[in-house]
Amino acid sequence: MDSKLERILLRVQKPARYTGGEYNAVVKDRGEVDTRFAFCFPDTYEIGMSNLGMRILYGVMNEMPGVWCERCFAPWGDMETEMRREGLPLWALESGDPIRDFDFIGFSLGYEMAYTNVLNMLDLAGVPLHTWERGEDDPIVIAGGTCAYNGEPLADFIDIFSLGEGEDVTKEMLELYQQCRREGYSRNDYLRRAAQIPGLYVPALYHVDYNADGTVSSITPEEGIPPVVTKRIVQDLDQSYFPVKTIVPSTEIVHDRVMLEVFRGCIRGCRFCQAGFCYRPVRPKSPEKLLEQGIAACQDSGYQEITLSSLSTSDYRPLPQLCDGLLDYCESRNINLSVPSLRADNFSMELEQRLQKARKSSFTFAPEAGTQRLRDTINKNVTEEDLMSACKTVFEGGGNAVKLYFMLGLPTETDEDVLGIADLAQKVYVNWKQNASVRARGVRITVSTSFFVPKPFTPFQWEPQITMEEYQRRVNLLRSAIRNKSIIYDWHDPDTSYIEAILARGDRRLGKAIEEVWRRGGRLDAWSEYFDFDRWIDSIRAVGLDPDFYAHRARTFEEVLPWSMISVGVRQKYLWREREQAYKSVITPDCRVQCMGCGADKLLCDGKCDEILPISARREKEA
Amino acid sequence: MAQMHHHRLRYEKSGLGIYISHLDTMALFQRAFLRAGLSIWQTEGYNKHAYISIALPLSLGFSSRCEVLEFDLESDIPLNEVPDRLNAVLPEGVRVLECYPARDPFKLLRTLDWTLTLEYDRGTPEGVEDALGEMLALPSLVIQKPSKKSKKGYTELDIIPMVHEWYVDQREDNRLMLKMKLAAQNPSLNPQLLLETFSDRWPAFRPDFVHYRREEIYLENGEIFR
Repeated sequence: MDSKLERILLRVQKPARYTGGEYNAVVKDRGEVDTRFAFCFPDTYEIGMSNLGMRILYGVMNEMPGVWCERCFAPWGDMETEMRREGLPLWALESGDPIRDFDFIGFSLGYEMAYTNVLNMLDLAGVPLHTWERGEDDPIVIAGGTCAYNGEPLADFIDIFSLGEGEDVTKEMLELYQQCRREGYSRNDYLRRAAQIPGLYVPALYHVDYNADGTVSSITPEEGIPPVVTKRIVQDLDQSYFPVKTIVPSTEIVHDRVMLEVFRGCIRGCRFCQAGFCYRPVRPKSPEKLLEQGIAACQDSGYQEITLSSLSTSDYRPLPQLCDGLLDYCESRNINLSVPSLRADNFSMELEQRLQKARKSSFTFAPEAGTQRLRDTINKNVTEEDLMSACKTVFEGGGNAVKLYFMLGLPTETDEDVLGIADLAQKVYVNWKQNASVRARGVRITVSTSFFVPKPFTPFQWEPQITMEEYQRRVNLLRSAIRNKSIIYDWHDPDTSYIEAILARGDRRLGKAIEEVWRRGGRLDAWSEYFDFDRWIDSIRAVGLDPDFYAHRARTFEEVLPWSMISVGVRQKYLWREREQAYKSVITPDCRVQCMGCGADKLLCDGKCDEILPISARREKEA
Repeated sequence: MAQMHHHRLRYEKSGLGIYISHLDTMALFQRAFLRAGLSIWQTEGYNKHAYISIALPLSLGFSSRCEVLEFDLESDIPLNEVPDRLNAVLPEGVRVLECYPARDPFKLLRTLDWTLTLEYDRGTPEGVEDALGEMLALPSLVIQKPSKKSKKGYTELDIIPMVHEWYVDQREDNRLMLKMKLAAQNPSLNPQLLLETFSDRWPAFRPDFVHYRREEIYLENGEIFR
């Protein structure tokens, strides 16, 4: 180890975050690899190592001959100070080599507040910040993840955006790179050819023009470059890579357990939910495969906890069968199985009781809105009756704490809807009084509100965000309406949600603003000790942009949205129709009741969403 | 009710392993036993977990060749196979050296042998050894040791009787290697505290960096603890 680093490590907090060497970390012989990839997570080790997507792509790439994928995370402030003082460039954990010498630097973009970390990590690595400053010897900088669907605010800094699920397209991208290098193509030739691979978007090859009012007038691809880039999906989850052998960190991380993804996509279509539209179509994994992989992953890692993950796990049809199988394995070995993302409308205490050996007393539900009218508007098809019956089950079973999640600022929300949240919480309290099997300990009902952020590729992508003052007024209104001491009200500060609203639907002119924020010291913005609201607002204004233009402006259907060259498979017209249904408070049935023709089924070769083939058919397919 | 635990490991921490904290090391071994397919005794009660206990917590950043961990092996396999099984599934920098039946109770552990490597970037100054000798020859030297239990935030400690032996092992241009036998528990003397005390008295002799390594552990009578 570098002697400078050796000394630094004992001056910073939690040095094990910076050393690598964990069980199952992949170390290859430098002589046998010709393509080096630095998978950068623009947040700390504890957050990044909890990300399943990163673990999948790490495994996918390291299975490729000649490719070595390593990890890299954002250093905490104390480490950054030491690195800058000692002149240590950002290195990859597995080899300790500086990542500026790699072929690729890839960022996973999960949330807007990580954007400044992207710039900071490029700078710490010593890689030119802007795409146009990079030369033949500099790494190709790519980015994927949920925020890549509208990566425009980062267009100045990212050479290639990878849209959708990366299992297949990452391989194609690297194989093309290896081929281009063999054949002596230049960096620009490679980027032009990469832009032909479905799912890869090269922003520098698209020219954006603006109207006098600041809206986008046109997006023009260079000649021979596809006008629309459609996201990629994995066709068959059972056949796709799953990291059975995965890195077990030697220091505690946020989600320190085996993660089993039961399906991708969501049948629900909640109109505010970006993941619900972007991750379509619904593709379940077979319970047999999940059982096999879950057991193998526990054995290999020594983890004593498995969690099932998806956008709405209670919608996984074979859930009881899967839980039975996993519990048969887990119970005798003291392995805990947890199933988050359950809905109030199909909540089963029987399942809960099987899962929790130590009796759980606190349950969380997300009605999202306080009145049925508004819940219908957002298509959150949970009724008051569903919630009451779930709460009754909880209280009868001895539960004494319920958390209720809501959003304020949803389109069409009125004061009546806001006050409806207080009513609903009060009804939960009455429900407890009527049904509690244990009254002695009292009950705790927690109401939480967050500030709604309209996101691209949802039916609300055209909607203005309400102002922070209006959000605060609604918070105060709700606060004054809650007078029961058993009901606790928590609300999120609106500052970050406002900045998120600007970035989420931003165009590429915002790149200068992000750069300005970073130059003024912005980094680790997802952490309250680092986030500085005024720095963001001042920087956006300093580059001549108006934050309200992005956050508070209503868009028309005719407007060219900055992300118009991207398709997630769901048609714009479908989203607009959903928006119209929202304004009429008309619900759309879930995908299992009726296919509404969103268009995402066209991404599947056989066009059939949400299908688990019988075992015999799967064996045939595999053979 | 404490039950007697029957098996012990002696393991080494070096290289990247020294950055793994005491608590993380406990979790690491619990998982390593499971990965190795070795069944060990689980605690009873609310939060069942694999029972393991480490004799003397090691400070973050220190290396060691004599860490002792206690557990109860339930799998029916010869103890001499345990090191290889565990080493196959341990991260870099943590290596099991031997596995054996527990012999001496933890409370009989008395002293630790240390190697301290002091690095001087501008050359090892003349007189370091003499100054240290002078300090350690004092009849007593009471210092304040940080303590979470005490109201004042520290306890007072005479370090002189806790330094059982010391000598200069090697002197190089930029390094001075010291060997020391120090009290290991009730109370223990952390060599870092000793060197801090020394450097405060002789600021010119403050090293730029120090490597600390535990070499061996002993009973009261001078025999090796196992």
